[in-house]
Amino acid sequence: MLQFKLVLLGDSSVGKSSIVHRFVKDSFDEFRESTIGAAFLSQTIKLEKQDDVTIKFEIWDTAGQERYKSLAPMYYRNANAALIVYDITQPDSLAKAQSWVDELKNKVGDQDLVICLVGNKLDLCEEDPQKRVVDTEDAQRYASEQGLLFQEVSAKTGAGVTDIFQTIGEKLYVQKKNSQQAASQTRNTVNVELQRPSTNDSTSCCS
Amino acid sequence: MKAIRGKHSENDSAKCESLGSMNSCSPSSAGKDEEEVFYDFQLFISQMKDQRADPIVRYTRSFLHSFVTKKNFWTAEEQVKLVNDFKLFIYDKFLEFEPFKSLDRSKLHNAQEGMEKLLMGKLYNKCFSPLLANDYENLTDDHRSDLVHDANLMDKILEFRFIKPINLEIPATISPKVEKFIQLSGKELNRINSYKAPRDKMVCILNACKVIYGFLKHSKLENEGADVFIPMLIYTIMKANVRSLVSNVIYIERFRFPEYLRGESGYYLSSLHGAINFILHMGEDSLFIPDKSEYNNQYEQNSVQVAEERDRIEIKEVNLEVPKLRSKSPSPSEYILKPLDGATNTVISKFAELFSPTATSQDDTDNREHQSAFIDDETAAAIAHQMEEDDHVRTIKDLQAMFPEMGCEIIQDVCAAKRYRIGACVDALLTLSS
Repeated sequence: MLQFKLVLLGDSSVGKSSIVHRFVKDSFDEFRESTIGAAFLSQTIKLEKQDDVTIKFEIWDTAGQERYKSLAPMYYRNANAALIVYDITQPDSLAKAQSWVDELKNKVGDQDLVICLVGNKLDLCEEDPQKRVVDTEDAQRYASEQGLLFQEVSAKTGAGVTDIFQTIGEKLYVQKKNSQQAASQTRNTVNVELQRPSTNDSTSCCS
Repeated sequence: MKAIRGKHSENDSAKCESLGSMNSCSPSSAGKDEEEVFYDFQLFISQMKDQRADPIVRYTRSFLHSFVTKKNFWTAEEQVKLVNDFKLFIYDKFLEFEPFKSLDRSKLHNAQEGMEKLLMGKLYNKCFSPLLANDYENLTDDHRSDLVHDANLMDKILEFRFIKPINLEIPATISPKVEKFIQLSGKELNRINSYKAPRDKMVCILNACKVIYGFLKHSKLENEGADVFIPMLIYTIMKANVRSLVSNVIYIERFRFPEYLRGESGYYLSSLHGAINFILHMGEDSLFIPDKSEYNNQYEQNSVQVAEERDRIEIKEVNLEVPKLRSKSPSPSEYILKPLDGATNTVISKFAELFSPTATSQDDTDNREHQSAFIDDETAAAIAHQMEEDDHVRTIKDLQAMFPEMGCEIIQDVCAAKRYRIGACVDALLTLSS
């Protein structure tokens, strides 16, 4: 089973923790695990598009208040994926999400980091379309310009929530598979030159 | 798919095992894995006593000997490399020699944990920065910087010790009860200085986090995630005043086997580190201040008080002619005198000769050592039992202070039912008291 670290970013009022709680609640019980659960959760899913592939998300929540923003690097370090959440009913919400995208792109050197932009509170707009202030098209356009995954969801009804994790999982899985293939190819070609008499150096076993 | 959840499953193991035997307060009913993870240091010790483990014992002794004698002041980076390389080497050797070779996965993991504990127990005086403070002039930069950060954190905590939950945006709905629970989580965190092994220190951090989580769950705030958890953790640090907290955190990061620092342990250790950084940079701007003039008054008042207290301490120290590095950093003897690791420590010290880093290894003495250097199993078990009892009494006392309205018997019953796991006990008592 593959394990991936996913970091959760977004303002405190956008409901990012609720999305994860919804995800865990709607996932199969057979995978449920014991955790302290305040801010770290893990959840295993089966990928729908692949035969018999399960992956485990370790979900790292961050404090969304502006004053705790400086803690974020402790969390997104070594992350495989990031969920950047905004509220489609709040005017400056998308802009804040965009600043997270910029920060990740500047500070995390990892080309493989999968970023997913998530607009929450879809349920409010379905009740009353007037409440929407961030157009789906605008966010969608921004996401594709930046090469991000994108999804609008409702943590309240659950709409779209499991889709996010399926899509991210799928992308991470394909990336991993490709990089493993590439690595094994490199190994096959380079190995001959790298061979040397075996030593007792325990660090040399870089499998 | 059941196998995925099994504790022996290849893939799950890293995370489950990293938690050792102490995970308990789960919001879900299904997750029992981590609770069942096997951890028994005495078993490891008895395995090391096995004649067939001789090569492992020799490797270990020789490593400890070189570590201590080859150089007086390794940089922390060198230490980390040495210890980690040796762990990889010896964990590999476990697969070659009995009695380790034939162990199942969980017992093998236990042996790895045991080895880490043994090594770090022996090298603690060389690796835990506060214990090197006496040699400040000779210290390498990284150990020095740990000590400086410890002192800086203490300064900041003093400077801002007057702050209230609201200044950290802890929801007003829970603030009346915050102080009480912060005391308990702080107590758990404070125990970090009673242990030498990175794993044991980590357990203290997780226990502190569990108390916070138990409280948030009871306050129906557990779904708020890090938004409430982080401020509560920061507030705990502000109030608990844990000695050498930065050094402790960095020590765990350096010497805990990386594989065991993933998942939940990794998350809560990073959170603690992040919370510490927040306090190190704390200023007016990082706080929520509803009433500026009141805040300014409090700040001024506190600064005067802190200055007075410092003067008093310094006068005392001058009178006692205590050689001091910084008034805030504790002397190493404070650590050495502390009972370090309960049963384990007793057991380790009883067979200290065998691993005495300065002792030269002589083949002809091996047999004798095997017979005499170890205390017998019965004594070890008795000591361990007594330590455990003491620990239980302490837990009950803490909980009684926290829940004075609950009867003594109820608390005892809950403790027994929850096997004295502090997080689970708090959780259960909160439910009962509501």
